[in-house]
Amino acid sequence: MTDGIKRRDFLKVLGVSGAGATLTACSTEKVERLLPYVTMPEDITPGVATWYTTVCDGCSAQCGMWVRTREGRAVKVEGNPDHPISGGALCSRGHASLQGLYDPDRIASPMVREGADFRSITWEEAEALLAQKLDEAGGRSLFIGGPLGPSMAGLVDDFMESVGGSRVEYEPLADAPLREAARIVFGVDSVPRFDIGEARFVLSFGADFLETWLSPVEYGKSFAKMSAVDDHGSKGRFVFAGPRLSLTGLNADEWVPIRAGSEAVVALAMAGIIAEDFGDAGPYAAMLAEYDVRRAAEVSGVSEDAIREMAHRFASEGPSLALGPGAAGHHRNATAANVAVMILNAVAGNVGRTIHFDAARGGSASRPYGDIESAIRAMASGGVGVAMVHGVNPAYSLPAASGFADAFASVGFKVSFASSMDETSAMADLVLPDRHFLESWGDTSPVSGVMAIRQPVMQPVPHFNSKQTGDVLLSVAGRMGRGMGAATFYDYLRNGHRRMHGSDAEFETAWRHALKKGVVVHDGGGQGAVPALRAPDTALAFGAPTLDGDGDLTLLVYPSSRFGAGEFSNSPWLQELPDPVSKITWHSWLEMNPHTAEAMALRDGDIVTVTSPHGSVDVPVWTYPGIREEAVGLALGGGHTGFGRYADGNGVNALALLPAETEQPSGALVTVATRVTITPTGEHRRMATVAGSDDQHDRPIAPAVALAALGHGGEHATEGGHGSGQHMELQGVGGFVPMAAPEEEVSDRFPMEGSRHGEYGDRENTARWVMAIDLDKCTGCSACVTACQAENNVPWVGEQQVVMGREMQWMRIERYYESVDATHAAPLDVRFLPMLCQHCGNAPCEPVCPVYATYHTPEGVNAQVYNRCVGTRYCANNCPYKVRVFNWYSYTDAVPEPMNWQWNPDVTVRENGVMEKCSFCMQRVREAENRAALEGGRDLRDGEIVTACQQSCPAEAIVFGNLRDPESRVAHVVANERTYRVLDDLINTQPSVNYLKKVTFHEVASGEHA
Amino acid sequence: MATSRERGALTHPDVHKLSDVNRDILKILSRPGKGWWMLFGLAAAGVGLFLVSWGNQIVNGIGESGLNSPVGWGVYITTFVFWVGIAHSGTLISAILFLFRAPWRQSVYRAAEAMTVFAVMTAGLFPLIHVGRVWHAYWLFPYPNSRFLWPNFRSPLIWDVFAVTTYFTVSAVFFYLGTVPDVAAARDQATGLRKKLYQVISLGWQGTDRQWHHFGKAYIFLAALATPLVLSVHSVVSWDFAMSIVPGWHATIFAPYFVAGAIFSGVAMVITLAVPIRKVWGLEAYLTTKHFDALAKLCLLTSLIVLYAYLSEFFMAWYSGEEIERTAFWNRLFGDYWWATWTMLTCNGLVPVMLWFKRVRHSIPALFVISFFINIGMWFERYVIVVTSLHHEYEPFAWGIYRPSLTEMGIMVGSFAWFGFWFLLFTRLLPPVAIAELKEVLPPPLRKQSKEAH
Repeated sequence: MTDGIKRRDFLKVLGVSGAGATLTACSTEKVERLLPYVTMPEDITPGVATWYTTVCDGCSAQCGMWVRTREGRAVKVEGNPDHPISGGALCSRGHASLQGLYDPDRIASPMVREGADFRSITWEEAEALLAQKLDEAGGRSLFIGGPLGPSMAGLVDDFMESVGGSRVEYEPLADAPLREAARIVFGVDSVPRFDIGEARFVLSFGADFLETWLSPVEYGKSFAKMSAVDDHGSKGRFVFAGPRLSLTGLNADEWVPIRAGSEAVVALAMAGIIAEDFGDAGPYAAMLAEYDVRRAAEVSGVSEDAIREMAHRFASEGPSLALGPGAAGHHRNATAANVAVMILNAVAGNVGRTIHFDAARGGSASRPYGDIESAIRAMASGGVGVAMVHGVNPAYSLPAASGFADAFASVGFKVSFASSMDETSAMADLVLPDRHFLESWGDTSPVSGVMAIRQPVMQPVPHFNSKQTGDVLLSVAGRMGRGMGAATFYDYLRNGHRRMHGSDAEFETAWRHALKKGVVVHDGGGQGAVPALRAPDTALAFGAPTLDGDGDLTLLVYPSSRFGAGEFSNSPWLQELPDPVSKITWHSWLEMNPHTAEAMALRDGDIVTVTSPHGSVDVPVWTYPGIREEAVGLALGGGHTGFGRYADGNGVNALALLPAETEQPSGALVTVATRVTITPTGEHRRMATVAGSDDQHDRPIAPAVALAALGHGGEHATEGGHGSGQHMELQGVGGFVPMAAPEEEVSDRFPMEGSRHGEYGDRENTARWVMAIDLDKCTGCSACVTACQAENNVPWVGEQQVVMGREMQWMRIERYYESVDATHAAPLDVRFLPMLCQHCGNAPCEPVCPVYATYHTPEGVNAQVYNRCVGTRYCANNCPYKVRVFNWYSYTDAVPEPMNWQWNPDVTVRENGVMEKCSFCMQRVREAENRAALEGGRDLRDGEIVTACQQSCPAEAIVFGNLRDPESRVAHVVANERTYRVLDDLINTQPSVNYLKKVTFHEVASGEHA
Repeated sequence: MATSRERGALTHPDVHKLSDVNRDILKILSRPGKGWWMLFGLAAAGVGLFLVSWGNQIVNGIGESGLNSPVGWGVYITTFVFWVGIAHSGTLISAILFLFRAPWRQSVYRAAEAMTVFAVMTAGLFPLIHVGRVWHAYWLFPYPNSRFLWPNFRSPLIWDVFAVTTYFTVSAVFFYLGTVPDVAAARDQATGLRKKLYQVISLGWQGTDRQWHHFGKAYIFLAALATPLVLSVHSVVSWDFAMSIVPGWHATIFAPYFVAGAIFSGVAMVITLAVPIRKVWGLEAYLTTKHFDALAKLCLLTSLIVLYAYLSEFFMAWYSGEEIERTAFWNRLFGDYWWATWTMLTCNGLVPVMLWFKRVRHSIPALFVISFFINIGMWFERYVIVVTSLHHEYEPFAWGIYRPSLTEMGIMVGSFAWFGFWFLLFTRLLPPVAIAELKEVLPPPLRKQSKEAH
């Protein structure tokens, strides 16, 4: 060898110094040896995602999920299209379950109480301690948990039986009155299946089926089927009867603003009217006579005619379906109200048509709150030696008046299986951190006939020394000498399922299939026959329920569509997700009718003290025309005190105002229970809202078209349901010349003359990406917003930044009131419009950027080059849609370990001073293109590229695809007379996002909107 | 405008000979007094505030401002346009009025030119201050690079870069050139370090005929070069707005409207600066009510143009029948920022009405007060244009409110200090009144000039 340095030495030195520099720069304390995979793990190809099926454990709906993992980390959850409940979609809470997995406030290890503090211990010690305490308790133990999957429920029951004690099922917002009503009326002890999609007339008495009621994703899907106008120009009607418009209510075609608690009398009066014609009210005929229309009008505060008209429609526009009050309407007569609604359904002949008992919802025990009440009594009386709490947080989610905290505190040894600290586990003596459901095994059967295995989608997050509760129980049972035939919960689970199969081989095949597909659907074996009405076996009061207190205003406490009863509150995505109704983030608000507020001289943001006989809270007022004048509304989910950094201190806990009372006979928590008085505090705050104006000021932003005008409307006359006039709007990109297409043969001449690129690109063979959003389907549920945030590494900014107007979400659901009237005098017309980057063909943002950080791609997409952006913000100023968001700070720097594990490695994380916006999920386009290239260079298939928002939409309102392909779904959807593009007529931006107008039953007021 | 030599000629009892001019002007360059030091200390403290505020913003992020979505531009751009506007009258007075041979300009033009240079220096900082990543701001310049990336020549912001840098270069050269004979005069009196400095920057000026000949030619060429810039620079700045599609910005009237506004505010600033200078250094002999009268008339004229522009904007919004345009202007008058609009209308439209009266134009205290109103009004004019247009744009759901933060206020106030800092230094280092040109308009001493003459 010659003198000087050898190549290998040079590389060694370079490598060592480079590694040294890297390690120093990262300030890792210990120097670690980094090695690439020596043997590549089977499932992992760097840069390629692996998908696993599992089941969401967010709520009792139990939607099937697909989880996208990259290099062993879960980065995105999506609905499993094979699963009958979710049908491929997911709600915001489902998406946010990833933040539960990577929650920095999860408990790092088992802990035992030492005075006021906790001390970390090993699992060995923890299990030994629990075994010892259970032994000492000698059968006086208690297990309080939420609804469990079949195997876990079996395991816990077996365990409690072997150690002596009982299991109490507790679910804060159980739909017990519904189930109890089904039992009373039909003798079926389960929640029936409601087939909203089959109905043509749906009447909801405060059932918020698009948000929290039973199975929101499933109903979102079927509601779209019911209410969206179909190819034949037919559209189902949805009427919402209740004192407050929830998000579900805002989607109604008509709002019958009945008083809180008058559901039963209205439903019975309707049933009476219908029974006069059809004459079959069975054992209830006599009772219906008692509740006539006059009385219903008196109690409910709406006119007799309105009730009569509703009844006639309900009978004649069938198949119809009435849904009883859910958790937002659990007043003291909630079971009676549900009974009345069941009777109405039965009288109208809906049982067997839109209500089915063949795939009934099992779910929770019948008296969820009643059971916990007796558990509290037992604990308070000293009858419990060891109390174990799993998966629920009763110290927060029960009204303070229930006495849970005191009773629980008096128990000798308290065990919590919480995965992150909450108000209940803070009181425990022993904390045994459970795994997140994405790290756990389990099974679910939310509806009879649907069985799904929950499998871990990744190795447990290593920051937390957690252990699945099932494993802990098995291990403790073993220590106590009461082994249960399985060492781990995985074995226990498999053992249970093996019993259903003949041979091991058959079982293995079935097991693999179940894991791969994510669900097993079989014949439910439920009751196929139509059950007849039974005479009630319980005394029921149908009249208006009693309310505590002597204030003027009825307090409506309702579950939040973001937080449920508060179990999702520690997710910054959900905290920053604008509430679909109020558009407020982070903090609580008191909904109040503008007239009421005016009478009290209150404005939005004035902080008032709300006082009920049971407590008081201070909360800012938000005026809302969708609530009756004598009612005020307050959402659950705020006011956590020990749940985590994102939840604590945000908002107020509405439960502080409620009595600890159960509805009789169902045993559900009463949420509409008191009157309140409002006292201004004189303070005012700027609300963390994302809403500018609620009125679209007659601008062509979210127009609508009357159903009657469809298909034969004036200048946009169409033939065969395919509009031709609107096709003129489908000119392409980069051109200033409006293209006049010949009137005939337009639909088969895609791409239109003029749908060409600007100066670059292969004009013939490049895709032209466009999106279509059907506003007649969109319900404003906001699942797309969270999905987008998860997919695109969009940071959250915190309450103060939202107050300043700096929210970062790439999508916002605009909510415009056209007509909302709490006196039933005017029709209900609220428009939701998902607003995202419109990818204008003639984009105002592009010419003003001094450095080409935003430019037009040959595929018609308006691209943003983060690395080139200097941050002049001119593009945002010049964007008429205001969809560009700016990184005022390096928000991502504030994301704590391990929450940053969620970041999508396919998308850049942006720094301070950079503009960003919707990219049409370009990373997904590229992924599909790469896949197509690898598969022999085939062409992309239509529907292969699904954007994150589109993927998560339960209503399937969003379609994405290549407009240049005349056969693509998006080309077909866009070729509709309802198609319009926001502000395009006015400023010639030529957007790529095509909206389909909402369809209303009433005449649309102004010509501009038609 | 007065163009008669007589009206501009100096006829002051105290000035008898040409050397009196040297005496009066150069004494300003002597040791500064307590007052100067106090002002200078104040300005230095303000510059400190400016640097701390800006530094904080660079380190933590542009989020230290109160800007948001939809209001992406606020106090920074407002103040930028304000200072560019201030810069204009300097060139107007020195170049355009030079070309038009308006003799009254001689006493004020040096200060006006200095003001121009320092105002552009101040204005030029704001585009840097307001961008999100100032460390990449050089990307706005077309420089050869390995990425073969050029700036986007369609963007008005690029035009702005060229306009402002050109304007700074030309006005600085013009300013410097004009000072050369006077610096030479100062050099002849100075001693020590100051003499050395003046020796260097006076470029060996001897006052020979040949030098005067070249000087005169160069000066007139530069004046001719600078003149179109007065119109073009602020036109380009106005296109930062007018080229967009924002209702309230997108108007063809913007270029003349902005130029007039710039001259309006610049002349007002000249008055604001000239009044104390005159008082403190006893320059009553050189800055007479005649000069102030002329400045006031210029103010009045431009005020009328600006008022016309305001009214025609409102009229066009109504006449267009365009709902979005109408809402934008209705919102200006009665929306969340009504106070800014009414401040603007009062200060720029109503207060200058007083200038119709000769007694007001001849009252230096009155002019001083009015000039302050105009300065405030013109700042608010830009605030109204920038903020009220952005906060209520096309998409009602995205409407929002912007409140300036402390950082922004610190930088805004600091920018005045930064300007004052340079201006105070200027008054001590360079002859603040053009000695040589004053002498040109003094009655020739050879004729035994008496106070009765003319």
